[in-house]
Amino acid sequence: MSSKTPKGPDNTTRNLVIGMVVLVVAVGAIFSVLSNKENTSAALPASVSKDDGYGIVFNGELKGVPVIDIWEDFQCPVCARFEQTNSAYLEKIIEEKKAKVVFHTLSFLGPESSLAANAAACSADEGKFLGFHKGFYSSQPAENSGVITSDYLIALGQAVGITSDKFKSCVNNLDYKNWVNNVAASGGEQNINSTPTVFVNGKEIRRATSATELGDYFDPAAFIKAVEGK
Amino acid sequence: MKKAQPWIGLLARLILGGVLLVAGYLKAFTPDKSMMAVRAYEILPIWFANVLGIILPWLEIGAGVLLIIGVAIRYAAIFGSALMVLFIIAIAQAWARGLSIDCGCFGGGGTVDPSQTRYLEEILRDTGLALCGLYLLRYPLTKFALEKKPSQELALGE
Repeated sequence: MSSKTPKGPDNTTRNLVIGMVVLVVAVGAIFSVLSNKENTSAALPASVSKDDGYGIVFNGELKGVPVIDIWEDFQCPVCARFEQTNSAYLEKIIEEKKAKVVFHTLSFLGPESSLAANAAACSADEGKFLGFHKGFYSSQPAENSGVITSDYLIALGQAVGITSDKFKSCVNNLDYKNWVNNVAASGGEQNINSTPTVFVNGKEIRRATSATELGDYFDPAAFIKAVEGK
Repeated sequence: MKKAQPWIGLLARLILGGVLLVAGYLKAFTPDKSMMAVRAYEILPIWFANVLGIILPWLEIGAGVLLIIGVAIRYAAIFGSALMVLFIIAIAQAWARGLSIDCGCFGGGGTVDPSQTRYLEEILRDTGLALCGLYLLRYPLTKFALEKKPSQELALGE
C-alpha cells in the first residue's frame, strides 16, 4: 500500500475538489440536522402542549377517558379515507367529552403538507380546527400538485367560517412554521413510519391487511370498538 | 479488452455516481421522509435511524459527485459499494422478517401495502451497483476523470 500520488497541479486540483465536496456535504448535513431539531421557542397554536407531542388536543382536561392520538399528513390520501370513515364519530365523542383526541399533523409528504399543517394550526386558534380539517380532506388536492397555496387555504378557511384577518396573516406568514417542524420531530421520536397511524391509549389500532379486511382504520364499527373497548 | 477497460470504468462511474447523486438529491431536502424510511427498517435505535436519515443523503451526494467528476475514485467507489452491501443486508432482513416497507432508496420509504414491496428488484439493483464500485476499485483508470492518476491506496493488487 505505497502512496504514489503524484505531486503537481493534478494533486492540487484533486485536493481542492475533495475539499469542496467535503465542505458541501458537511454544511448540508449539519444544516439539515439543525433545522430538524425541536425548536423549544416555537410559537404554539391554541390547545397544543409539548407533553402531547405538540399535537392539537381536544378535551385535554378529561381524565379516565380513552386517549386517541392521530398521526396524519394532510396530503396523504389514506388519511382522507380515515377522516371520511371516522370523522363523524370523532366529532361526536369530542363534543360529548367522551375521549381526549390529539391530532398530530405531520408534513413528510412535502412543502404543501407544511403549508396545510400551519393553516390547520391557525384554524385551531379560531376554534375551527375540526371544521377546517374536515373541509380540507373533503376536497383533498393531489399530492404536491401545487394546488395548496396560502390563498387556497385562506379560501378553505372562509368556506368553513373563518373570516378573521388574523387567520389570513397567520396562514400567509407561516406563523406556526417552527411548530410544524416540532410535530415532525416528535413523530420521528415516536417512530411513526406511515400515515395515518392511530393510537388508542398508547396502543396502535389494528391495521388493514387486505382490501376486504379493513382493520380498525377503515371499518367504522371496528374503530368504535377499538376506542370504546367493547 | 484492455482498451475497453477505461470506457467500462467511465460507465461504472457514471452509473454508480449518477444513482448515488440522484438518490441523495431526492432525499436530502425531504429529511422527515428520509428519517422515516430508515426507521421503517426496524434495525437501528430510533435516534440513530433519524440521524442517519438526515446525513446519509448528503454522503451519497458527495460520493456521487466524486465518482462523476472522477476524483478519489477508489475511495468513493469503496464507499458506494459498502453502502450498497449495507442496503442489501437491510432490505434482505426486512424481507426475511416479513416487514412491508419501501426501500426508500430514492425518496419515499416507510411502511407500504404488502403488495407494493419490491425486495428482489431492489436487491438486484443494489448488487449491480455494488459491482460497479468493485470494478472501479480494481480498475480505477477511467476515461474523462479529472484525476489522471488515481491514488494507489486501496489498490487490489496490480
